[in-house]
Amino acid sequence: MNKKFLSFLTITLLLFFQGVTGQDKNVSGVVTDDTGSPLPGVNVVEKGTSNGTSTDFDGNYVINVDTNATLVFSSLGYKTKEVGVNGRSTINTSIAEDASELDEVVVTALGIRKETKALGYSLTEVDAEEISTIKTPNAINSLQGKIAGVNISQNATGAAGSSRVVIRGASSLSGNNQPLYVVDGIPIGNGNNGSASLWGGSDGGDGISSLNPDDIESISVLKGGAASALYGSRAAGGVIIVTTKSGKGQEGFGVEFSSSVTFDKVNTDLQDFQTEYGQGVRGVRPGSQQAAFEAGTSSWGEAYDGLSSPQYDGVSRPYSYTGNNVDKFYRSGTTFINTVAITNASENMTYRLSASDLTNEDVLPNAGLNRKSFSLNASAILGEKLTSNVNAKYIIEKVQNRPRLSDSPGNANFSVALLPGNIDVTTLQPSTNPDGSERGFSNNTFSTNPYFAAYNFNNEDVRNRIIASTSLRYDILDWLSLTGRVGIDNDIIRRTSVEPFGTAYKPLGGINDEERRYNQVDADLILAAEKDITDKFAISALVGANNNHVKSENLFLGGNDFIVPGLEDIGNTVSQSRSREYSERKIGSVYGSLELSYDRWAYVTFTGRNDWFSTLSFPGKTTPNDDFYPSVNGSLILSDAFNMPSFVSFLKLRGGYSEVAGGAQDPYSLALTYEIFGNPIQGQPLGRISGSTVPNASLVAFSKNETEIGLDMRLFNNRLSLDFAYYNNETTNDIVNVATSEYSGFSGASANLGKVSNKGVEFLVSGSPIQTKDFTWNTTVNGAYNEGLVVATDDVDSDVNLDEPRTQNVRITHIVGETYGTIVGVSYERDENGTIVYEIDGDGVPRAVEGERKILGEGVPPLTVGFTNSFRYKNFNLNFLIDGKFGGQIFSGTNTILYGTGLHKNTLEGRENGLSVSGIDVATGQPFTTTVAPEDLETYYGEINDIAEEFVEDSDYIKFRQMSIGYSLPKKSLDNVFLTDVNVSLIASNLFYIKRSVDNIDPESAYTAGNSQGLEYFGVPSARSYGLTINVKF
Amino acid sequence: MKKSIFILMFALLFVGACDDGFEELNVNPTKPSQVAASNKLTAIIKFISSERYDNWRAGMIYQSTMMQHISTTAGYWSGDKYTWNRGYASSLLDRYYGNAIKSIEDLQFQLEEENAPDEMKAIVRILRVFAYSRLTDLYGDVPYSEAGKAVLEGIFLPKYDAQSEIYPDLLKELEESAAALGTGISEFGSADVVYGGDQAKWKKLANSLMLRLGLRLIKVDPTASQAWATKAIAGGVMTSNEDIFYLQHDADNKNGIGEVFTADGNPRMSKTFIDFLQAGNDPRLPILAARRSDGSTASADLIGFPNGLDSPMLLEMTGEDNTDAYAEPNRSIITGETSPMIFQTYAEVEFMLAESNVRWGLAGDAATHYNNGVTAAMKHLSLYGENAVIADEDITDYLTANPFDTANAIEQINTQYWAATFLNEYETFSNWRRSGFPVLTPVNYPGNVTNGTIPRRLTYSESEQSTNPDNYAAAVAAQGPDVLTTRVWWDVE
Repeated sequence: MNKKFLSFLTITLLLFFQGVTGQDKNVSGVVTDDTGSPLPGVNVVEKGTSNGTSTDFDGNYVINVDTNATLVFSSLGYKTKEVGVNGRSTINTSIAEDASELDEVVVTALGIRKETKALGYSLTEVDAEEISTIKTPNAINSLQGKIAGVNISQNATGAAGSSRVVIRGASSLSGNNQPLYVVDGIPIGNGNNGSASLWGGSDGGDGISSLNPDDIESISVLKGGAASALYGSRAAGGVIIVTTKSGKGQEGFGVEFSSSVTFDKVNTDLQDFQTEYGQGVRGVRPGSQQAAFEAGTSSWGEAYDGLSSPQYDGVSRPYSYTGNNVDKFYRSGTTFINTVAITNASENMTYRLSASDLTNEDVLPNAGLNRKSFSLNASAILGEKLTSNVNAKYIIEKVQNRPRLSDSPGNANFSVALLPGNIDVTTLQPSTNPDGSERGFSNNTFSTNPYFAAYNFNNEDVRNRIIASTSLRYDILDWLSLTGRVGIDNDIIRRTSVEPFGTAYKPLGGINDEERRYNQVDADLILAAEKDITDKFAISALVGANNNHVKSENLFLGGNDFIVPGLEDIGNTVSQSRSREYSERKIGSVYGSLELSYDRWAYVTFTGRNDWFSTLSFPGKTTPNDDFYPSVNGSLILSDAFNMPSFVSFLKLRGGYSEVAGGAQDPYSLALTYEIFGNPIQGQPLGRISGSTVPNASLVAFSKNETEIGLDMRLFNNRLSLDFAYYNNETTNDIVNVATSEYSGFSGASANLGKVSNKGVEFLVSGSPIQTKDFTWNTTVNGAYNEGLVVATDDVDSDVNLDEPRTQNVRITHIVGETYGTIVGVSYERDENGTIVYEIDGDGVPRAVEGERKILGEGVPPLTVGFTNSFRYKNFNLNFLIDGKFGGQIFSGTNTILYGTGLHKNTLEGRENGLSVSGIDVATGQPFTTTVAPEDLETYYGEINDIAEEFVEDSDYIKFRQMSIGYSLPKKSLDNVFLTDVNVSLIASNLFYIKRSVDNIDPESAYTAGNSQGLEYFGVPSARSYGLTINVKF
Repeated sequence: MKKSIFILMFALLFVGACDDGFEELNVNPTKPSQVAASNKLTAIIKFISSERYDNWRAGMIYQSTMMQHISTTAGYWSGDKYTWNRGYASSLLDRYYGNAIKSIEDLQFQLEEENAPDEMKAIVRILRVFAYSRLTDLYGDVPYSEAGKAVLEGIFLPKYDAQSEIYPDLLKELEESAAALGTGISEFGSADVVYGGDQAKWKKLANSLMLRLGLRLIKVDPTASQAWATKAIAGGVMTSNEDIFYLQHDADNKNGIGEVFTADGNPRMSKTFIDFLQAGNDPRLPILAARRSDGSTASADLIGFPNGLDSPMLLEMTGEDNTDAYAEPNRSIITGETSPMIFQTYAEVEFMLAESNVRWGLAGDAATHYNNGVTAAMKHLSLYGENAVIADEDITDYLTANPFDTANAIEQINTQYWAATFLNEYETFSNWRRSGFPVLTPVNYPGNVTNGTIPRRLTYSESEQSTNPDNYAAAVAAQGPDVLTTRVWWDVE
């Protein structure tokens, strides 16, 4: 009743004093702790309003309030204190430490704010500073290494590429496994807009990269099923809730300006190629232009001697090492991010309006992106019981020349990496012959001149995206409210990619014009109740319904063979093709949640949700298209319930069990369909079965359950804290595309019996070893270990084949009884002692015999660790992050090809006097030792290059990921200017490796963000970044 | 409480019934649940011609060079040097099963369901025989009875059938198909982009293929070989170049071999082939070959390039490593992207008749058939356009200079067969293995995997070892190691 009365009083007072603004006055003062030390960062809020400020470093505050207002002083770890102004203009006060009452409030499922103590599951919230100090074009990358259990893979796909985020291990064999992103209450699309594969291609970027880092207020990561159960099926991979900045907490009208510039430089320390032998074949340098052209990327020539030797272009140049081509070809990348925002807060309305421009020039010449985003976040009190909120974001993104990756055609990275050391890459300019055709350097037309690939392949995509939502809340009673919320994500990408006229491998060229339209509408209606039943016993409950509707359409025009050279237009082609893809799916849901709490130290929450899936529906289908799933979680604040030793500030035990169900990822997978395809031949249309997956008419929902327990302990007045979680989840009835023999006519079949389990631990230890007035040091270590296991695929334990790289001697495969996504490839044939078996050919060259395909590693590192330190001295701060991943492997296609072409350092052995090789002769079964003559090394290594085992290496690394040095201008110095807050930071990222196992490549350089992790093949080399960020408020 | 129940009901209404309209929503609006049999037939014919992928790898890179029609210094042209690239070797399997075979099985099922006339079924059966004969001739034991049936019969892991069992069934299929075909136009009509639905032509094709497959058995089962040849000839084989089994490509549906030459400048005409054409003063020479550097087709300018060489070897041999002075397939005539893809010619049939006469006294007179064969082979080049027309008197001159040679009949006939099947390398390779002619001198490139012998087959898809391991292992156990030197059933030594 007390609460009810207070709210009533507040509202009445508010209404009463509305319009009576003439009596405002400035109140200032100093806030100290019990010992009299000034406290920075204390929130000072005018009670019952959103008018507030916070204390500066010296504990000073100034606030303009009503003369009769009450000020609320609050700070994490301190007891909240209320002081009436009573006409005073100076209020100095102290607030008491409160170790046990950490009323930290976080955003949980459905945007519900809860005290962390009530949570029965693990939730990590990251604030704006972590994201906006060191900015990356894809904001989600800023989380890397910072959250235990969140495994982020930034790939070698260029600045505009996708990132892969997996929480607590991948739990679906064929599903996408990435978390659901919820921005300001509504889910947004995070589909991958194209990725590179076996035959090349480029990464089309993902959905989450549209967000401007400067607009983000906080990011909450709901790791487990208990946290995300209310989001239903789409949350099977966890949920990342992004809350954007609003005008709340501002004093009236304000302007923020933020600017950052970053310079990227390819980290050439990674490549360690041989620099002693030049271009040639079988130990001989090319003797003519033609021979040099035919030798192409082959570095099996002679030792450098500086003698003039012909090259691909007919010019003779010294036969000597010309320096690192990678260094010469890639440029310094730059990224400028500028954001300006205006905010305003009044009693009935707050808003924030921002505009941002991100301009990136990638390290790959002529590649880059520009992203402009406009964001509005407004809320208004419409009446006594009615509040509303509107969010809108408009993003225009233009990406020029997404880097081609993987297979060689048009892939500049491929040619630059493989160019023999005596060929200076800069001699490949100009990229064209006088007639405009590609100036090639190799008879393999697929080794594209890198400058031609960069400057003559014109690829561009333009994205127009609107993410908008509105919500309306009606307080029916003071304990009962109804909230309606509708959100839309409308994303249109227009893409043109051209293989120009004169391309060596496609002399007449071709063009693809594409438009991808994506539309998601999500609507919720929630009835929520919150009531104290007795002094100690409280209930909070809700019921709701949700409708999610996703439509996507892809229009495609293809043209081949330009007629008029140089005019790159679909109409200017000899032959054209067109297609339209369309898909639509809906999920309908009802859900409910009930939280009971006792005396603010015992909490238990029950949830239940039923989802209906259109992707599991089909006329005449008899198996269910829906599923119900419950969850329960609870927490006990032991430090409040029992007497604890004084060094224990806070101790909480938590635990939960949850189930989540999910439908088929894509629509239309239940029935066989046909298609008319291509263009008619001799006027006759072509018809066939559509797709190469055997459909399954009786698919039912998959289900994922998870058990989680955790401990949250804070010691020594919160100077040391420990958060620990253990989880165990299992997905059953996973919808899987199992491998079939290609000779069955189909490459896979849809099965519904997959089973995957993950169990793991997460920990976060943070401490504040030094905490004085002028100097603080905070340090945290987080880590996670996940053990994934493929338990079943179908009734005969078929393998599930994922991607293979261009070498086609290795593949990512799910195998029953093994970890998720193992690397399976061609091994060495060995005898019982493990000695390698060779076939000795007619010329006496031992050639390694290809053994069976076996498991060579696991593509996803199970152990991830992050180590963060932040130091503050007066107004200076220094932060750095070191992170690492361990226990995984990667297949390096780059090293494979470097062996074959003789550029890998290991191929130096034997070039002078021959290489001694011992092994077993397959013909006799007897040991042999022989010397491979230098001219036969190409054959010898050329055979090894087919053996994937040689090129699967540990992907372990420890990386000095980020560092920033910042300075905030003292508030006092700003008193006389219009500025209120100025902060400058020097930033750096990807500085160096403390540990790295794999040769020549960045261990984080997979070419796809999909489930096939652990494959590397000529991506964009990784870069170091340095820069400067300035944040100004006035 | 009443109020909240009311609100809850309102909520449910707002969201709509939870799965209203879901069933219809999940019916793909862009894809039909069936297409007409005729559309499938057209696609199957295109699938049989296939695309650049396998025509490049299995067709050109391996077989054309092994058969010494083509040669190159390029290292990735594995067939020129008898090295092993598994992905290249298995490329026909990798494309045929997922396209042609899958569609053929599906179309046969549809025709049964629709009670289609027997002649329509017969046309599809003939195409099926053709597709499987290419597969089994190149690889030996292959999935046959269970292949392409993942949807129809739920067979995800088909077994490999022995070639000794596939062959009798293929021949039986041809016999039954020929019997089912009458005269007039089948209901496929112009969707039949080979013969426009002309049943009589399909019947001739069935018998011509029967003759081809019958003769394949010459080494392993001469009696059966003779019996099938006799039956085929009696049934009526192709009688003119009007009967040729080919697909005319166009700009929207390009010839896969033409696309190879667009992308790849490495292939040259093999010395073996150019020497043969020049020795006979063959009028086909300027049509088939042109000098790489300037396109000259003057006989003196056309030098064949030896097989099995790389640049340093060439440099060592000739003091020169530029290969532009050598001949390549004539790009202005025969390697266009809109060229026809030829599967079986009347010329081949005449050569087989000549051989049947020599061996068994069948079909009249060997010399006449030889002359008809050579004439047809020269005349059918006109399919490549007006620049490929050979004058009658040039043909007469050629036959006068190169008359039928009774003493060396089998060698002469099959050498002409080899020349006539240039670019249809699947047939060249099979007929060479069957007949042993022409006698080709193998190369012995460093690092070759055949011990310096011409390969006898290509190898299975690598994916079979992991996805279909039991059936793969059984096939290897039955046929021999999955290597290039293992012989298929009919190719006994």
